[in-house]
Amino acid sequence: MGAPLLEIENLRTYFHSRSKRAFIRAVDGVTMAIARGKTLSVVGESGSGKSVTALSIMGLLDAGPGVISGKITFRTDGGERNLLHDLEHYVTLGEQDGRIMEVSKDEAGWRKQVERIMAEVRGKEIAMIFQNPKSALNPFVTVGHQITEAIRLHTPTKHPREAKERSLYWLERVKMDSPRLRFDNYPYGLSGGMCQRAMIAMALSSEPALLIADEPTTGLDATIQSTIVGLLAELKSELGIATLLISHDIRVVSRLADDVAVMYGGTVVEYGPAPEILGAGFGLKHPYTAALLASRPSVQNVQENGGLPAIDGEVPDPIEVPRGCRFYARCNRVTDGIRDRCERREPELKEVTPGHQVRCWLYLD
Amino acid sequence: MIKPRTILEVVDLRKHYRQRAGIFPALQWRERFIPAVDGVSFCLEEHETVGLVGESGCGKTTIGRTILRLIPATSGRIVFDDHDITAMSARELRPLRSQMQMIFQDPDASLNPKMRVRDILKEAITTHHRLSDGEVARRIGELLDQVNLKASKLSNFPRELAGGEKRRVGIARALAVGAHFIVADEPTSALDVSIQAQVVNLLRDLQRQLGLSYLFISHDLEVVQLISRRVAVMYLGKIVEMGLADRIARAARHPYTHLLWSALVEGQSKEASHAPLNTRTGAWEPFDFERPVSGCRFAPRCPVYEARGRPAVCTDAATEPQLHDIGGRHYVACHFPV
Amino acid sequence: MKRYSQTTGEVGESSDLSPWKTADALDLVYVGYGLLIVVLVLVSYVLGAFTWLPYDPEQIRVDLLNAPPGSAGHLLGTDFLGRDILSRLIVGIQAYFLPGLLAIVISLLLGTTLGALAGYRSGEVETLVTYFNNLVDSFPRLVLILLVIAAFKPGIYYIMVVVGVTGVPAVASLIAGKIEFLGQKNFIEAAHVLGLPSRVILLKHILWHHCMPLLVIQATIGMGEAILIETSLSYLGFGVQEPTPSWGNMVQAGANYFFQGKFWPSTAPALSILFTILGFHLLGDGLNGILEGSAGK
Repeated sequence: MGAPLLEIENLRTYFHSRSKRAFIRAVDGVTMAIARGKTLSVVGESGSGKSVTALSIMGLLDAGPGVISGKITFRTDGGERNLLHDLEHYVTLGEQDGRIMEVSKDEAGWRKQVERIMAEVRGKEIAMIFQNPKSALNPFVTVGHQITEAIRLHTPTKHPREAKERSLYWLERVKMDSPRLRFDNYPYGLSGGMCQRAMIAMALSSEPALLIADEPTTGLDATIQSTIVGLLAELKSELGIATLLISHDIRVVSRLADDVAVMYGGTVVEYGPAPEILGAGFGLKHPYTAALLASRPSVQNVQENGGLPAIDGEVPDPIEVPRGCRFYARCNRVTDGIRDRCERREPELKEVTPGHQVRCWLYLD
Repeated sequence: MIKPRTILEVVDLRKHYRQRAGIFPALQWRERFIPAVDGVSFCLEEHETVGLVGESGCGKTTIGRTILRLIPATSGRIVFDDHDITAMSARELRPLRSQMQMIFQDPDASLNPKMRVRDILKEAITTHHRLSDGEVARRIGELLDQVNLKASKLSNFPRELAGGEKRRVGIARALAVGAHFIVADEPTSALDVSIQAQVVNLLRDLQRQLGLSYLFISHDLEVVQLISRRVAVMYLGKIVEMGLADRIARAARHPYTHLLWSALVEGQSKEASHAPLNTRTGAWEPFDFERPVSGCRFAPRCPVYEARGRPAVCTDAATEPQLHDIGGRHYVACHFPV
Repeated sequence: MKRYSQTTGEVGESSDLSPWKTADALDLVYVGYGLLIVVLVLVSYVLGAFTWLPYDPEQIRVDLLNAPPGSAGHLLGTDFLGRDILSRLIVGIQAYFLPGLLAIVISLLLGTTLGALAGYRSGEVETLVTYFNNLVDSFPRLVLILLVIAAFKPGIYYIMVVVGVTGVPAVASLIAGKIEFLGQKNFIEAAHVLGLPSRVILLKHILWHHCMPLLVIQATIGMGEAILIETSLSYLGFGVQEPTPSWGNMVQAGANYFFQGKFWPSTAPALSILFTILGFHLLGDGLNGILEGSAGK
């Protein structure tokens, strides 16, 4: 099996709200790993920090302060690299009561550092596809040209005609219909599903070691979603590429993921093999995961009176982070024995079955 | 048993958008238009929820807006509470507006960002009735109770509320005027999964408590099926299948409905994955008008059409499939129902 | 190095701070300066209207021609006829203040009406308004004014009417654009569904709630423009005539003596023009930064 391809350790990404004069703790200490050739899916709702995690890996964050701590180890045949190399030299943190209340960061300097590190990685060894494919593509350039550009930039193929052949090869690989015709189309002339295929072609054309897919099926029609998911599944098995799939759609996740990380309020609350986490029954799950699966508006979850078992309350606010467990306010499995701890201290991740970790006081005795 | 009252009747409703033509098409005598809603008929009874389901471009959102007279209909009839509102003037329509309201898809865009929640609700309450300040305050309190919203949220602006809370303000606003018919336009779409369940439950409870009738528009087949009594499936401006929710779920007869369901099922069905390399969606694509579709609109994507060797009856304009009753108030527009 | 900090650490029902508290320091400085200028202008206008002046602005003192500032109680000195410059500066405000207000009122009222018509009722009305806008816009403003002056030799108020009308396209297109943008938003549809009459929707939801900052800013810019035009015209000899003081003609009058080393009679009014127009523009800029900045979040 070997060491994981990408290993994220204790990643923290904060933003700052001027109007509230407080930190937006988007990613607050996240640890996860992607094994070679496997798909890790990060599942969560708004405010969970899943998209920000992906953007942190790619160094695509604009707002300040951004990434403030952590280590991202990227292991390829070319060696091992820390994508957040030397971060400590650019950031100083001030804590109070165990909580970060002050950040000083040389943003300009860090940005340069990130460009140095990521220039050879982005698009080449780690590729990313986004939500809303129509708006993720450049509307003024033909689809074919965009893929060709990517090929010439990130692969040894520099000659325009050769690059075009490669583009057409990849367009066929993603099952685009009439690739030669579509090559000359602009994004507005293509449907959402076709744009997504084009984006996948663009991302895979450099044969990256890792593909990050940020909500690739959101915004697409239901029938198209399932064809894109099918495509991703096929490509995954044909190319053996590792994937970080970010999604809130459990259906998509269950078809593609080998491992799942459930995020809530900026932290990972459950981590392990997909069948165990997404399978039926409470089992040894985090109360959030269990409640989330049970509250999906689906025919299976309808109760006798025709209602759904909903989770009370609202999705967590990344600014007002509570002291204890982040899910405590909405949790329906708190017992008297642990209530005190749930309220006051945040639990650690604990392994409940081999390879399966849960962050909950119910399992920490 | 008393037959329930029909509060909404839509007859052959059409809404055509004129397409901005380039120079050359304008020289042709035939006008280019997009038939977003092309002959839709159905009725809705009191206390009932009718679900309208389809993908983007099928016209379901347009129907909702046309019924509420936000957009003028091109032709057809809309009869609400026994009033023909199709061509009513704004003044005549005003008093009826208090009976029919809409819940919008985007919780951010549907609330005026510069108004506090209290003002939004107050405006809704006082639009049609003159009430004293005390009565308004009492009514606001009542509404907050009904939608389960904390009183402390009254002085907040919409941007300070969470997604579910904004949705509930929208629902409260619709109830504030005293409407008994609500068009819910994708009420669960912009919400997180855990909040969707809350909203679905809320809408069901309100229906029971207040005797509301809903036209529930959504692309999410499962949510529609949960909450509706009858479901209409739309494709490219027409209803292709309509019947009791249960039937549509378990015994769908139109190939398109099957396709929709199979896209949901947790293992992809064979037909969908081996569908002809047809990645065209139901949206109106720019090149549609070069090859006008005659006859059944679903034919180009229909696996049954392929399987039967492309029968001419499906694509002949004269024999375009119409909705016909196949028993038990189940209607299908197809020559070869599955 | 950027520093961020957070003061409170507890969970609570924190609400957004008002835009004034979180504004850029620079914007606040702009607004402060701008308000200062506005206050000065208003005070001076009142002083001038009631002639509560240190000296009679038209009183000629042959013994004190072009006296430097500070001599014999004249804070800013005297001009080529021995008249007190400070008093003349104060009275000079009369030349542009009310006329400027007239220009702004015309631009805003007419502009808002046309913009609202164009934005709300698209179709022929929109086309008509667009044509009108383009027509007015295509005239170079100063040339048009000079033409009007040459043809009709009108007073400053009539000139300001022209200034006002030429300012209409800018306001109209801003308002129309804003309306079109908002029209997409569901809350306008929601207001329709509620049964609110179109008039109310336009006035309340669109204009009051969303266009106010825009209009205030246009007013400040308009005032700055009005001042510039009035002083330019007076400088060229077309506006206010001697002996009535206007900042423009004061600059002109003092110009002859500038190279004789007596730069004061020209410089005082010139600097007044500079700082006043700057004040209005910065006021608009600062307000824009504060009010629109918060809307972006």
